Amino acid sequence: MTAYILCLVLFSIGLYCALRKRNVVKIIIGIGIMEYAANFLFVLIGYRSGGRSPIYANDQVIKSMVDPLPQAVVAVAIVLNLSVTLLLVAIAIKLYEKYGTFDITKINDLKG
Amino acid sequence: MAFIPFFIAIPLGAAFLISLAGKRFRASSGPIACAASLFLLAASLAIVKPVLAHKTLVYRVGNWLPPFGIPMIVDSLTALMLVLAGIVVFFVTIYSIGYMKPYTDKWKYYTLLMLLVGGSNGVLLAGDIFNMFVFLEIASISVYALVAYGTEKHSLEGAFKYAVMSSIGSVFIFLGIAILYSYTSTLNMADMAAVLMQKGPGMIVPFVTTLFLVGFGLKAGLMPFHAWLPDAYSAAPATVPALSSGVLIKVLGLYAISRIVFNVFGINAEVSNILVILGSLSMVGGSILAFGQTKMKRLLGYSSISQVGYIAIGLGVGTPLALFGSIFYLLNHSLSKALLFLSAGAIEHSTGTDELGSIRGTCRRSPLAGWASLVGALSISGIPPLGGFWAKLIIIFACIQAGRPMLAFLMVLASIFTLIYYFKAFTGVLFGSESEKSRPFEKALSPHMALALFCLTALVVAAGLVLLPGKWQALINGAVGVLSGGRDYAIILFGAMR
Amino acid sequence: MIEIHLLLLFMIAAAVIAVEAKDLLSSVIAVGAVGIGLSLSFLVLKAPDLAIMQLVVEILSLIILIRGTIRRDLPFSASGRWYFNTITTVCFVIVFIGLALLTFRSLPDLGNATMRVSKAYIAEGMLRTGAKNIVAAITLNYRAYDTLGEATMIFAAVIGVLVIARKTGKKEK
Repeated sequence: MTAYILCLVLFSIGLYCALRKRNVVKIIIGIGIMEYAANFLFVLIGYRSGGRSPIYANDQVIKSMVDPLPQAVVAVAIVLNLSVTLLLVAIAIKLYEKYGTFDITKINDLKG
Repeated sequence: MAFIPFFIAIPLGAAFLISLAGKRFRASSGPIACAASLFLLAASLAIVKPVLAHKTLVYRVGNWLPPFGIPMIVDSLTALMLVLAGIVVFFVTIYSIGYMKPYTDKWKYYTLLMLLVGGSNGVLLAGDIFNMFVFLEIASISVYALVAYGTEKHSLEGAFKYAVMSSIGSVFIFLGIAILYSYTSTLNMADMAAVLMQKGPGMIVPFVTTLFLVGFGLKAGLMPFHAWLPDAYSAAPATVPALSSGVLIKVLGLYAISRIVFNVFGINAEVSNILVILGSLSMVGGSILAFGQTKMKRLLGYSSISQVGYIAIGLGVGTPLALFGSIFYLLNHSLSKALLFLSAGAIEHSTGTDELGSIRGTCRRSPLAGWASLVGALSISGIPPLGGFWAKLIIIFACIQAGRPMLAFLMVLASIFTLIYYFKAFTGVLFGSESEKSRPFEKALSPHMALALFCLTALVVAAGLVLLPGKWQALINGAVGVLSGGRDYAIILFGAMR
Repeated sequence: MIEIHLLLLFMIAAAVIAVEAKDLLSSVIAVGAVGIGLSLSFLVLKAPDLAIMQLVVEILSLIILIRGTIRRDLPFSASGRWYFNTITTVCFVIVFIGLALLTFRSLPDLGNATMRVSKAYIAEGMLRTGAKNIVAAITLNYRAYDTLGEATMIFAAVIGVLVIARKTGKKEK
């Protein structure tokens, strides 16, 4: 269970960064760290001690395998997170062009 | 029943087609999108009858038996939301053909629009929780890009704030899915419900429910997760908040959380209370914050936050009458809000601004936009005989009946606030005389925008008729049955899947 | 599983550096270190497909992030409601981890996954789909619908970037 809690600590570090940092790029980095932690947790959940990777091979005796379903899910999730990061950085670059700063407290024209 | 996959195939196919053909044949992207949304509307209307007859329709993707494969599931709640989404998307697409004329690269807009529809339909049809998450992400990323469509300063700022908050929500949802998989060892929602009924909720289900409430609350714009909503709505082209408020907040936020909390976890007292508290906060907070607004789209955004609160309270109270009121309110609000945003867009298209002080005398200068706004505002404020009045009445009555008069009082209070701020904002806009700050109504409405506004107005006026006995009332009752039946979802589904 | 704990501690340290570094370039490189740590962990957890994917995606993300950075981070300023916001966030994090400590007891321990649905994937996967790699069998056959969603997501992201990177959004009349 320690591993799960360490995962959540990593998640919290990312959450702190995403919520408290003023720099736009740091916010995106924070979200990225949260996503890494969530992926890690998912694969950790699927681990079986003594298991091997879920690939058959003719010449080996296979006793038990780790859970393949979390791996399939995380494979899709990694790509989803990459897409969102791509879009966020594109918006951030254009924001710098228009506002001249990466400071989220200064990018505050819409108020009220 | 074999046409269930078309709900996903048509929008995705249209998106890919528009991206291929739209660059060469510039004028084709709009008509392709309209044709696709027309097909979707027709399909969603066609599926109502089979759903009323068979209660639940299941399509197994790839013909794999769940829980090994992924099923697409249509029950009454899904069918109702599909029809609602179909109607809103169809009219917004027609409106877009006229409204998006000043924008460049329109094929990208229509592609993203179709992807958004595909994502939203995917969430509605999902029987598997990770599949729901994937399509939720597709719809979300499309709407981030659509909010930024004008690439002006404010659009980018609104889009960034929206994207950051919504992505944080998505990661919370994904974390919840991971922990839930560890506990139940399956991703299929019906299977999960069965396992949870057997194992009991333990301490995991409340923890995951909190994660989901944060995640889906960020998508739905419930307070205290509402901060992105006014910014994103005020800066985006008017069709985007119409779609977001009319379809996305409901589907990605309220539908998803209801499906999971009612059908997979089983509703219990703590979650109901949390929903009621969040709903009351949104309802009252949204109304109060709407008072000081001077821009139309921002005001409508705060109004959306407030109305989502009503629906959340109804879901929280949980009696069949409250659920009926909630769902009917959801229908009504989607149509009325879409109408309001589209007419605000029409006014902005004609005058170039959406400052309340600068647009006056709309009913005289641009009568269709003016009367459409009036009808929408009356419906949301709850003036009889429009649907909004009946919806509010039903929910308030349900609260009293469930023994929670305090909630009913809060609702009446919030309704009074709503009436006041709409009155304050709209009398000047609709009937006022020109002042020195007001802008002239330069451009006339294009026929597409006019058609969409007219049809939506007619629908909002007719929305109250849904309450009369008939096919639609039966569908809403079916949807209420799906939610109040709770875990029976799993049992019905296993029956339908064999 | 001492390697997992060590890798996690390494990732946490790199994440703290990423969060607090004054220089944005160092931040991005530290995030790269977190990603590499993740890739190594996937290898240790017997997920070779994921390790390769994570490595490739990490490199792509680093390129994208470096494209978006300028050299210096903003100077620290405790303006406005900084104390209130930070204390709220820290409290929230402590409550979150505390609740997790309580609730995660009911989860199966590390290394003891209950593989209800996956047993069938492992037992019949190669037979029914012909693929030796069960993860590939799931991604491309059993749950191909999710993979369609994933491909659509990349497509949507690319169109989104094209939308945002336009020179002019609205034609000024």
